Amino acid sequence: MPAGGYFGRALVVDAGTAAASVLPLSDDLLRAYLGGAGLGAWLMHRLAPPGVDPLAPEAPLAFVFSPLVGTPLTTSAKFAVVAKSPLTGMLNDALSSSHFAISGKLTGNDAIVIRGACRRLSVLLVDGDGVRLADAADLSGLPAAEAERRLRDRLGRGWRIAAIGPAGERGVRYATVSHDGRHAGRGGLGAVLGAKRLKAVAVRASAKVPSADPQAVLGAARDLRARSFGPATAKYRELGTLANLLAFNAISTLPSRNFQTATFEGAPQLAAEELAQLRTVTRNSCASCTIGCEHIYRAKGGKQARVEYENVFALGPMCGVSDPDAVLAASGRCDELGLDTISAGGTIAWAMECAERGLIDAPWLRFGDADALIRALGEIGARQGLGELLAEGTRRASERVGGGSAAFAMHVKGLELPGYEPRTLQGMALGLAVNSRGADHNRSGAYEADLSGDYDRMAGGDAQVAGAIETEDRAAIMDSLILCKFLRGVFTEPFDEWATLLAAVTGWDTDGPELRQTARRIVLAKRAFNIREGWQPEDDWLPERLLSEPITVASGRVAALTPGRLRGMIDGYYAARGLDSEGRPAPASGADLHLTT
Amino acid sequence: MVVRAAGQSLPALPSAVEVVDDPREGLGPVQGLAAGLTAVADRAEIAFVCSTDMPFLHPAFARRVLRAAAEGPDVALPVARGYPQPLAAAYRTALAAVAERLVREQRLRPAFLFDEVVVVRLDDAALRADPMLAALDPDLDSVLNVNEPADYEAARARPAPEVTVQRFGALADGHRGPQPVRAATVAGAAAAAGLALDGHVVAALNGDQITRDGELPLARGDTVFFLSADAGG
Repeated sequence: MPAGGYFGRALVVDAGTAAASVLPLSDDLLRAYLGGAGLGAWLMHRLAPPGVDPLAPEAPLAFVFSPLVGTPLTTSAKFAVVAKSPLTGMLNDALSSSHFAISGKLTGNDAIVIRGACRRLSVLLVDGDGVRLADAADLSGLPAAEAERRLRDRLGRGWRIAAIGPAGERGVRYATVSHDGRHAGRGGLGAVLGAKRLKAVAVRASAKVPSADPQAVLGAARDLRARSFGPATAKYRELGTLANLLAFNAISTLPSRNFQTATFEGAPQLAAEELAQLRTVTRNSCASCTIGCEHIYRAKGGKQARVEYENVFALGPMCGVSDPDAVLAASGRCDELGLDTISAGGTIAWAMECAERGLIDAPWLRFGDADALIRALGEIGARQGLGELLAEGTRRASERVGGGSAAFAMHVKGLELPGYEPRTLQGMALGLAVNSRGADHNRSGAYEADLSGDYDRMAGGDAQVAGAIETEDRAAIMDSLILCKFLRGVFTEPFDEWATLLAAVTGWDTDGPELRQTARRIVLAKRAFNIREGWQPEDDWLPERLLSEPITVASGRVAALTPGRLRGMIDGYYAARGLDSEGRPAPASGADLHLTT
Repeated sequence: MVVRAAGQSLPALPSAVEVVDDPREGLGPVQGLAAGLTAVADRAEIAFVCSTDMPFLHPAFARRVLRAAAEGPDVALPVARGYPQPLAAAYRTALAAVAERLVREQRLRPAFLFDEVVVVRLDDAALRADPMLAALDPDLDSVLNVNEPADYEAARARPAPEVTVQRFGALADGHRGPQPVRAATVAGAAAAAGLALDGHVVAALNGDQITRDGELPLARGDTVFFLSADAGG
């Protein structure tokens, strides 16, 4: 009998034949990795052949659910898509929220893992009747949202669908998996699904899974719901994450024009404070969420666009574009094509700088040119013209172009940087450098420590190391339970409080210290996977631009991040994590990490 | 960094402030200089040195003097409001050894130090040539010190400095853009903006450091940004 909140099994499907097998997941294993990103890391250790090409048929892709999914706990309707990334060649998990999480889990599985590839474009169906494939030739080339709509019409009520757009079908290395209009965005998991010739995965609930203590869960849900309406989430409710933009501009943490500067003169036009007054149409919530962070704006021509800080940063300041209509249109275009906005904007910004330096022959591509931005997105989605190069992401593109362009290819491990300036947020600089997913703000939220006022954000030292580790550990647990990080501010003793929630659902006698150990295990398991797949110490590093071009902030202070300072922080991180001087776990740690079972 | 007599009790200081004990009491400013310059010599070539009884010392004044020192002399010495200001001056930290020797020789007045090294003197006009300083401290109140209770009361009676506050995101609540207020501390600026520095609000002084320290003093011309502490997304 599995613990509450679990089925104790993963369904492993061969997309070539629709044959399925069950991988039992023991109580010990589930307690060690929880679900979501944590369980996904274990599944990849177990099921991905060492050295596998992420786009090869034998590469697994997992939809991983978690113990809290299906409970009334706010923000818990989330799932992780996990695979070896075609962009980074390393472990990648991308989270999203929707009814797909609930229905997917209630197929009776804690994870659905897909291996193999279809002979022609298909949709994979999973429900209580088993697993089967259906032809999806008529969906070829459609945006994910349109494919999802047609499939719902075809399949009928009760089905929830995750689909890819044209970019996923064409193997763009930063294509997304989309559902209910939201994306599992980072790392190119849409390309992995596309390589399996799967346009979509459809799930339908057919099972139930009880919590160990339903009354305790209900009480906790009521309490959490009330706290979710408090000041810790006001920012997300009232303006959404775009509220960051103008504030970040004021404190020189808004990367602009491919990280050449940390402020943007066009920021006021793109600010949430401005757009909210002129353009807001509505506010949405994910399934089972009481925060409602999603703000929908009206673009020119009446089209509506979902706006968050990261897509506006990447398609606006990063590309030098200040026209809000253009940024909203570009964001909508990414949705249609199924592109990760951060990687798309980052890659185009790199290309704009290359074009201005004469390194690539694209005189039409210039910073600030909104038409060029839209054209570039279209070419990427179609893998035509310059898009064939840019669909590969900045790391591969800079290797092809050469000419010193790698120095300003703004990625870590191949993943393009999010909108947090590392020179003025130096705890974040460390987090970006060492995180297993690459340059990532969701798995390493060290910016939170940088912006806490607890230390000098433009210095680097022990406090920054501690901040990076603490936020990385918190993310590991939140991404595995799963709870939305926008809820993090409501917890005063997060590990203890999360343990209480987990205990109510599962019946385990878990506590905060155990969850801290779990966090460390998940972080190290991800690192161990990457090492197995060829990670080298130099992969834990930042782009040369960040280490050689200081930033001057409004006070006149110069924020510089030197290689020596970064090295010192990385060494401190390795020591605190119990890694050797090159960042590798001790050989005996495999058993501790439950990787030998 | 604060230099104090050994064991001297000090008011609460921010955690980032280092306290250095002067090993020899009662020997005057050159001894204090020697102790302070020695303490920072391994991390800076030049140090701005001031006494702790100058409530109107403006950062723009310190920057002006430091810029003069960076041009090469051993000491940049303001001669403001008619008097040399050795305790509002910039010194090369390498002068620690010279100061130590002067103390050993019982030559305890700063003038003895100035006799032995290269000194650039900055009169009122030279100081005000800096447009930022001229705008923010036109009367050079930076060098006013407080010696008597009446001086202290007079200083307290002055209006708080003019600063600018700006609220961002959900904190703006319809008050977008910069807003002039008078406030002597970050908490005062928050109150003037209708905010409280609680767990969900932080401040950024002049776009630089993030702080939750409401007692952080402000100077004329400062800008205080108030941000949601729950950054991210």
